[in-house]
Amino acid sequence: MIEITNLTKRYGQIKALNDVSFHVKKGEILGFLGPNGAGKSTTMNILTGYIPYTEGSVKVGGYEIMEQPEAVKKQIGYLPELPPLYQDMTVQEYLNFICDLKSVPQKVRKAQLDDILYMVKIGDIRKRLIRNLSKGYKQRVGVAQALVGNPPILILDEPTVGLDPSQIIEIRKLISALRHDHTIILSTHILSEVTAVCSSVVMINHGKVAASGSVSDFSATEGSVRKFTIHIVGDKSSVQKVISQTPGVRKVDFIRVDKDASVFMVESGKDVDVRRPLFNELSRNSMAILELRPVGRTLEEIFIDIVNKDKNSADQ
Amino acid sequence: MWTIYKREMNAYFRSPVAYCIIGFFMVLVGLFFWVRNLVQGSVYFSDVLSSIVTYLTFFAPLITMRLLADEKKNGTEVLLRTAPMPMSRVVVGKYLAGLTLYLVMIGITFIYPIMLTFMIDGGIPAGRNFSGYVAFILLGACYLAVSLFVSSFTENQVVAAVAGVVVLLIFYFMQSIGSTVGGNFGAVLQWLSPLKRYSDFAMGGFNLASLFYYISFTAVGVFLTVMNVERKRWN
Ligand SMILES: Nc1ncnc2c1ncn2[C@@H]1O[C@H](COP(=O)(O)OP(=O)(O)OP(=O)(O)O)[C@@H](O)[C@H]1O
Ligand SMILES: [Mg+2]
Repeated sequence: MIEITNLTKRYGQIKALNDVSFHVKKGEILGFLGPNGAGKSTTMNILTGYIPYTEGSVKVGGYEIMEQPEAVKKQIGYLPELPPLYQDMTVQEYLNFICDLKSVPQKVRKAQLDDILYMVKIGDIRKRLIRNLSKGYKQRVGVAQALVGNPPILILDEPTVGLDPSQIIEIRKLISALRHDHTIILSTHILSEVTAVCSSVVMINHGKVAASGSVSDFSATEGSVRKFTIHIVGDKSSVQKVISQTPGVRKVDFIRVDKDASVFMVESGKDVDVRRPLFNELSRNSMAILELRPVGRTLEEIFIDIVNKDKNSADQ
Repeated sequence: MWTIYKREMNAYFRSPVAYCIIGFFMVLVGLFFWVRNLVQGSVYFSDVLSSIVTYLTFFAPLITMRLLADEKKNGTEVLLRTAPMPMSRVVVGKYLAGLTLYLVMIGITFIYPIMLTFMIDGGIPAGRNFSGYVAFILLGACYLAVSLFVSSFTENQVVAAVAGVVVLLIFYFMQSIGSTVGGNFGAVLQWLSPLKRYSDFAMGGFNLASLFYYISFTAVGVFLTVMNVERKRWN
């Protein structure tokens, strides 16, 4: 649906994007992650035809954006970093204006706007002047604007910024509800947001793709170690001894006591599965396993890693 | 295009800007009406318009200054640029909104010639008064195009207005500069001067060449604005 290939963007001397490539399939929800100044907004601005790129190619639904900008723009609903609102209009007038701008047929207009007002939960403020709305409501009107015309692709630049926690959950629910008939790219700093709503992730840093993959890839075992937590009933030190003597286990750490069980963090080599031998050893010693849960390297860890690596190489 | 037009018309009349411009203009017209028609006894309202031409240099930039700059300030430029609508239609819609405000201003002044017809026995000469109006409208259309073009270089309303006045002042003095310089260059300047044609036109000399001149002048101005707005994307 969206194909970004070797995308480079220069602002004068500054290279905001450097050889960025990734694809988004139809129906996918892509989380676009990166620290401040990574180039997220720049990528989104290019993708929506707001600014041109310097090199590379961007294809949306088979159309190259520089060659057929209108064919591309028709397919996209965009919520920029700052919601593009006319302060002197009421919400209703504003959304009508957007309908005009996107040439939504008069016949379907009312039904569509009613749907959107309901989905974004701004029906009760439709008569209010945008100038007088709170930040969160302005953000929601911005989301509503992106939904007008029912575009198959939504590009949302930090959609939950400035919202209170319950509104954040509402917007996430909305995004999840839109997933079955939309392709969505959303940028964010909040990593749990990605795990909550996205199907895949692209992480960028300094204008380069630093990591990408599906969200499940990231929560599975990563790096050179495999970790899991295990809850076992029994005397703490003898359990720890049994675990540490099991072949394949590299490290055992006691974490805490959970009711009548002790919780340990067990580490093994990446290619070794110690769960079976561990089970055998423990049951031989009549130590009951209540719970065993693999621990993935979280998005947070990867994110911090990328930023730190970067700092280190800058220090050298 | 009409989408943008409608939005701009609303924006004009929702802020005090339009009312201030119209109010100022009416005060000025009233003043000159009193001097030219009532005190000096001219039967031509077009004389009042001719006196006001100088002040158009200020009014035109005031009308156009917010048309492009406001979108930057609101952060709504991205909306227009990512909408499936070419920027040419956006610019033309905005220009037409400015022109409409100008026509509204002029429309209100109709009360003065109407008053004159009642005050003077036998009415007033229709021809010259009419051509005076036509010339005034055409000149204004040109001025608006020039100041819109100038405003497309900046994101600041005040800068847009000041620069517009400066550029229009250059046009204002073009005729006298032309006659001072003399020679071929001077002749070209005089030919290009929108004001020289205005005085010919306003005296009742309806002239097809001048009509054509004004219309193409305006079209070129709007076209250059479109080009400039498109070009800016590339930086
Ligand atoms: N108009 C511009 N002129 C010059 N440099 C720019 C411009 N816009 C962005 N940049 C630079 O490009 C880089 C990427 O900026 P961008 O706004 O895309 O980052 P971002 O990932 O969206 O950051 P944030 O998380 O803060 O929103 C930054 O270094 C920024 O300074
Ligand atoms: Mg950003």
